Amino acid sequence: MSQTSIGVLLVVICTLLEGVGQVFLKKSVLGAVRWYLWISFGVVILVVESLIYTNALLLLDVGAAYAISSLSLISITLMSQCLLREKVTRMRWIGVCLIFIGVGLVVGRT
Amino acid sequence: MEKGRQRVKFSPAMLFKSQTVTGNNAVSIKRKFPARLAVGLFIAILIDTALQLVWKSAVLTLPHDGSPWLNVQAILQNPRFVFVIFLMGCQFFNWLMILGDADLSYAQPVTSLSYVSVFFLSVLYLKEAADVLQIAGIMFVLVGVWFISQTEHLTQTQESDV
Repeated sequence: MSQTSIGVLLVVICTLLEGVGQVFLKKSVLGAVRWYLWISFGVVILVVESLIYTNALLLLDVGAAYAISSLSLISITLMSQCLLREKVTRMRWIGVCLIFIGVGLVVGRT
Repeated sequence: MEKGRQRVKFSPAMLFKSQTVTGNNAVSIKRKFPARLAVGLFIAILIDTALQLVWKSAVLTLPHDGSPWLNVQAILQNPRFVFVIFLMGCQFFNWLMILGDADLSYAQPVTSLSYVSVFFLSVLYLKEAADVLQIAGIMFVLVGVWFISQTEHLTQTQESDV
């Protein structure tokens, strides 16, 4: 496996961890009884994600890493819909997709 | 015991959410767009912009030998990374406040506006070149955020104990 492939894989893992970590943080402010557990797990996941991402930046161009990490927009929206039961309307999905394309165009060429 | 007088357990939701707590875990949420949500999102974009620029410059100072342990050591000794951690701390508390007032699927895409601010700062102050595709990308992001802003910022009405 080439270094670039490992870098891409690490950034993709980061986008999934970002989604899970954010869902945990959202859970903590929703009035759950064990809010401190949600917040603790959320923070741990986001710290691990930061460490992985920092290492991924050493294997990939910053622009490519940013472009791939914009996938977290999709993962967060999907997880919000499935795990948090948020109402993600068609309009919101269109917005998310436009932002995803836009971020890809902006940072993919840096 | 008097009926209707219930002991309300502490949760960060009380600090971070505009809400009225009544009995049976019912939570009624004001649907008006809160001013503090607008301020929170603005601050989040500012911090995220600073975070991206400082992190980018800090990562460039890391040794390129591929050893994760050496990278962790370098991170702990580098003042730029200390500043990155400080910014992350500020972002964390601001983010919890935002999540109390808005859906995750609403707030997260809106903060993508930081890509626009980073782009303009890079062009204006770092004199980086901008091409047509990047400008088209900025337009996509702006239109996308406009679409998101047209949706309800909070769609959840209650959360049961987990």
